[in-house]
Amino acid sequence: MSNDRIVGKSVPRLEGRDKVTGASRYVDDVELPGMIYGATIRSRIARGKIKSINFLPIVNWDEFVVVSAKDIPGKNCIALIGEDQPCLAEELINHPEEPILLLAHPDRTLLAKAVEAVSIEYDPLPPIFTIEDSEKLSEIVWGTDNIFKSYLIQKGDVESTFKNADYIVEAEYTTGAQEQLYIENNGMIASFDPQQGITVWGSLQCPYYVHKALMELCGLPEDRVRVVQMETGGAFGGKEEYPSMLAAHATLLAIKSGKPVKIVYDRMEDMAATTKRHPSRTRHRTAVSKEGKILGGEIEFTIDGGAYKTLTPVVLSRGALHAGGPYYWPSVRVRAKSVATNAPPHGAFRGFGAPQSLFAMERHMDFIAQTLGISPIEVRRRNFLKPGQTTTTEQVIQEQIDLGKLLDRAVELADYRAKKEHFAKESLSANKKKGIGIAAFLHGAGFTGSGERYLNSLVGVETCPDGSVRVLVSSTEFGQGTKTVLCQIAAEALGVRYEDVGIAQPDTQKVPNSGPTVASRTIMVVGKLVHSAALAILQTLRSAALLAEVYSPEEFRAACREHVAQNGVFRSLARYQQADDISWDEENYRGAAYAAFAWAVYVAEVTVDLTSYSVTVDDFVCLQEVGRVLHPVLAAGQIIGGVAQGIGFALYERVIWDKGRMKNGQMTNYIMPTSADIPPIRVFFEELGNIHGAFGAKGIGELPMDGPAPAIVNAVVDALGVSFNSVPLLPEDIFEALTANGSHETMPALANSKQ
Amino acid sequence: MNNLSQTATKSDITLVVNGKTVTVRAFAMERLLDVLRTQIGLTGTKEGCGEGECGSCSVLMDGTLVNSCLIPVLQASGTHITTIEGLATDKRLHALQQAFLDFGGAQCGICTPGMILAAVHLLSQNPQPTSADIREGLSGNLCRCTGYMQIFEAVAGAARRCGQ
Amino acid sequence: MRSHPADYELLTPNNLPSVLSLLAQEPGAWLPIAGGTDLMVQYAAGHLAARKLVSIWNLPELRRIEILPGEIRVGAACTYTDLIENDVVNLEFPLLTSAARWTGGVANQNRGTLGGNIVNASPAADSLPALLVYGAELILVSVRGERRVPYEHFHTGYRKTQCAADEVIQFICLPRQFSDYRAYTRKIGARNAQAISKVCLAALGRVAGGVIEDICMAVGSVAPVPFRLAETEKVLRGKRIDPALILLATKTVAREIQPIDDIRSSARYRRAVTANLVAEFLKGFSEGGSKKSSMLARWNSLPLAEAALEILPCCGSNSWARQMAALRPIEDEDTLLAASDKIWRSLTESDWMEAFAHHPRIGHSATPSTAPARSAQWSSEEQQKVAAAGDNVLAELAEGNRAYEERFSRIFIVCAAGNSAQTILDILRRRLRNDKQTELQESAEQQRQITSLRLKKWNSE
Repeated sequence: MSNDRIVGKSVPRLEGRDKVTGASRYVDDVELPGMIYGATIRSRIARGKIKSINFLPIVNWDEFVVVSAKDIPGKNCIALIGEDQPCLAEELINHPEEPILLLAHPDRTLLAKAVEAVSIEYDPLPPIFTIEDSEKLSEIVWGTDNIFKSYLIQKGDVESTFKNADYIVEAEYTTGAQEQLYIENNGMIASFDPQQGITVWGSLQCPYYVHKALMELCGLPEDRVRVVQMETGGAFGGKEEYPSMLAAHATLLAIKSGKPVKIVYDRMEDMAATTKRHPSRTRHRTAVSKEGKILGGEIEFTIDGGAYKTLTPVVLSRGALHAGGPYYWPSVRVRAKSVATNAPPHGAFRGFGAPQSLFAMERHMDFIAQTLGISPIEVRRRNFLKPGQTTTTEQVIQEQIDLGKLLDRAVELADYRAKKEHFAKESLSANKKKGIGIAAFLHGAGFTGSGERYLNSLVGVETCPDGSVRVLVSSTEFGQGTKTVLCQIAAEALGVRYEDVGIAQPDTQKVPNSGPTVASRTIMVVGKLVHSAALAILQTLRSAALLAEVYSPEEFRAACREHVAQNGVFRSLARYQQADDISWDEENYRGAAYAAFAWAVYVAEVTVDLTSYSVTVDDFVCLQEVGRVLHPVLAAGQIIGGVAQGIGFALYERVIWDKGRMKNGQMTNYIMPTSADIPPIRVFFEELGNIHGAFGAKGIGELPMDGPAPAIVNAVVDALGVSFNSVPLLPEDIFEALTANGSHETMPALANSKQ
Repeated sequence: MNNLSQTATKSDITLVVNGKTVTVRAFAMERLLDVLRTQIGLTGTKEGCGEGECGSCSVLMDGTLVNSCLIPVLQASGTHITTIEGLATDKRLHALQQAFLDFGGAQCGICTPGMILAAVHLLSQNPQPTSADIREGLSGNLCRCTGYMQIFEAVAGAARRCGQ
Repeated sequence: MRSHPADYELLTPNNLPSVLSLLAQEPGAWLPIAGGTDLMVQYAAGHLAARKLVSIWNLPELRRIEILPGEIRVGAACTYTDLIENDVVNLEFPLLTSAARWTGGVANQNRGTLGGNIVNASPAADSLPALLVYGAELILVSVRGERRVPYEHFHTGYRKTQCAADEVIQFICLPRQFSDYRAYTRKIGARNAQAISKVCLAALGRVAGGVIEDICMAVGSVAPVPFRLAETEKVLRGKRIDPALILLATKTVAREIQPIDDIRSSARYRRAVTANLVAEFLKGFSEGGSKKSSMLARWNSLPLAEAALEILPCCGSNSWARQMAALRPIEDEDTLLAASDKIWRSLTESDWMEAFAHHPRIGHSATPSTAPARSAQWSSEEQQKVAAAGDNVLAELAEGNRAYEERFSRIFIVCAAGNSAQTILDILRRRLRNDKQTELQESAEQQRQITSLRLKKWNSE
């Protein structure tokens, strides 16, 4: 137990009052004087060339501002990792919904009509839509070989392990696309002033990503582009890279019209046109001893990146690095690649490649268990990483994590053994079968390897005239508690009250670049820098003899006021320093991939209704080791929210593709869980601390996304005795599997009735 | 889109919003949601889907929970509308607002106004709801952030407090 | 929002005759709009072809329920909430109430109307199968007068009805003749709320001496229109229910429906599930079935309050007992246990506390006087092995209990059955280190196990 007064307590959410009173201002709540509204003309085909564009006389075109690629002052690209994605298509189309033109008009309700009045003719080219089609190379849709990026992770001698194996277990696992479905659609306001440059305000996660993209697009220097984050209604990665595109569009219209421009998508456009989770295919070929120990194996991990590179290489990286799960692989070869198709580019979504590869790993562990006749508990216990052992990239596990004990505790909390026994002996009735399933996993927090060094994050904490302090970060709040916890950290470090700390709105003109709000890094990495910067303020006040060794919050405020009066505002900056024990070989993909791993075991109890073939999750236990819980309510909220999205990923959220376009792009037919679909989700934490994280915290935002899908599918497999290796797993899929080759009585009401 | 469109005319429509009588000049088929947000300036009510699925646009109309994105403003003429801005009185939060703060019921906040109003409606009909009642009563309001559990706790917490 | 409000006219006459004369003036030009839960969705998507709308929302002539001796007349502009809140509808037409409850969420139930559901004529509409099995008749009105038609053939094709351009449905008439019928309805959607149906079955049956005297079944989402399963009904009427008949019925219904592949589901799935639902309905009549006990059968027939009181000692929470009793009839032990688990897990913290308070301290024999005698008896049976321990261990247990109560302000709950005092002591010591939230969860899980064991004992008496 600690003596912390603020960290570790559930202090009130900093911006909570505004949220519960409707006072928070999101992008669409703001009107600027003279503001007009923008809309996007998008491709209706997946691949081809634009032949002609016609403006039908249904609206008065004189009233509209029209922007095409010709109006782009700088480079026609959305600069991110690569520069292959155009801001507006000029001649070539590579995916449905690709932006071609922009329109703006003062009457927002006229825009949809105008969009319909633009008629475009195309010369189509043959599109490809699946990983397999991309691999065939009959059509090259990107680069020379359709491959955005590949990685190879090698450890030990895989070939000899296959020779010595008692068993070789092989299977393929797939996951589908998933829509982030933040309840606030993407939106952006832009304004242009010839002297000041561009200002954009938007719903976004990474102000400096947008900043960089706009600099390239407009050919402007960094002090003539300003990006401000507004209250953001959910993001989950869906507002990591896409806002740069939207900001670019609003900016072009603002430049051409000379007026502020707002673009807010409606749900249909947001679903069809913006990023989704990368679909994946994982192939495991594993050498296993008869005791169920993994001797080595090959993992082939492939993701579909859609039409342009965007963040795909990084998603691939994380997926590849998590592909081995929390297990010890004496030898392994992970071949990871990301391929291009003619779908709208896929992008960041909580978990970022790990939910995909961990789904495969955890299903595969159950398959190994089943093959060998060992329990799912034992097979995991026998293979768990132990302190001192190395991961697939040969990172040494330094902390004293006991995964076997974590597993035991989760199993006990879920009453796993008794239930498994009971379910095996008796089915509920002819119509319902119950099962229970486990997933054990890890999630690396922060950017991979040298990523944090590359980000070179800078954080500020400054003194204010009234004696309070203010945190200055580009890290954004979108519900996960950034503002609250960073202020807790500063308050704890300074020995002041939580109320004495404020935080600036992320505005590239006013805050340093603390890196993007992604990768579960905000509390752990940025929080630690906030801590350092805050401590430096203490030192400064003490050096100025304004503050004694022991002081009260009031005394701090007085000292702070005095210092400001004498010297002006003092901005304490802290920059990221890579710890010495984190060394990463980018070329060979070897070494310390992550500064810290959080560990977890999840258990799902399900009922499969054989009348409707639908799965209900009855109970869900989530146990995770997270370093330190800095805010119990927020931490639990992150886990529960992530589990709910994981349940959606597992059982409900199918993207239906029609020639590359999302066909079910409405909330009525893209199915996310309602309050009536969520089981009791029971959350438990363990805390081992973390030397690399603020107050010992590890990142937890994405962790809960990794476990639910495999735990639930493992439970369904347990219930039915039939293998399922794909998510989402819908009732129709279960029905088809159970009735394949007439293998199952389709009228279960009759099946077990004894005459 | 192949016929010339008729142009309707705007008319004066009067309704009572959060206790105040308001007259707006609008087309009959403007959505109540848009009139509340744009003309009346009450931006607390949100658009999440435009199809009555997410409940972010929920308001109380004559004490009844409705999705304002599906209501032509002319049909709201003469009715009493309560939006999220009308809940707190004299700077004191409604019990549900306070409970949402205490139990973590609001994360990104975009579903929160609709969710709180749905909870207000629920408690007005059923002051001591069971958890099944809470789940059912809120099933028309989607939340992507919380996974609902802390929202249930907030509603149950508010019900307990009001019952004391 | 993809429509331009300036392109649309909406009038709100305040009486029905004005609406009718408007419809008659320009036949086909005006579209009635009630709650708007279908039309406004089309409008927002830019798909509403009609440009002139006339509101029939809340018209008193259309929004009322008339209770007559032989039938009820539901005004077409009654909302789903109006149906849910009407006692006669609930009692005599439960299939309609069920359909109303699972249409959208509360906000949409407050605006969506029964008439709107009919004229919008989606084959997936929730209330239409119920109307078909109840043998509804519609009263349609126009300036030309009134006509009454059977609902059965009202749908003439996909999204087409017999309603003329100048007509409005005024009433949906339901004959009050089904009180002695067993009612069954089930909707299969993609999730538990706010789901468009993939398959929906509404059914009524009257069975005497194992023979089907009358049977009505209707389906939605498996054809261009909702319809009565006339062929399947014919195969069943007058026959004795047995597995062979049920099998024949499922084969007949599989032939009778015309499901398709669409954005929501597949034809094969719909065909199989519809057959499953029919079988489930029919099986409910038969005397056979899975594990029943005379205990459960007797308990199922008790009045609500008595049933709750009887089962209370298994758990100790009044809310749990009430919710269990409200779920009856409960078919068999497995359903009983599953229901208990589900309800227990969803209770509030104070309900849990109430349950915990029913136990004696572990290692102690005296039960709190507030607990029922039954509970005390079970407690002492469960703690038999503990009671057999030596004085040393019992003393340590007492000390542990005291420390626990000091830390957590309630007694230590553990599922003692079969465990020795030493084992329990170890568990107690481990749990003493938990934080409050974790310990609450663990106590709740233990209570769930205790309740489960007690239910089994109770059921086998």
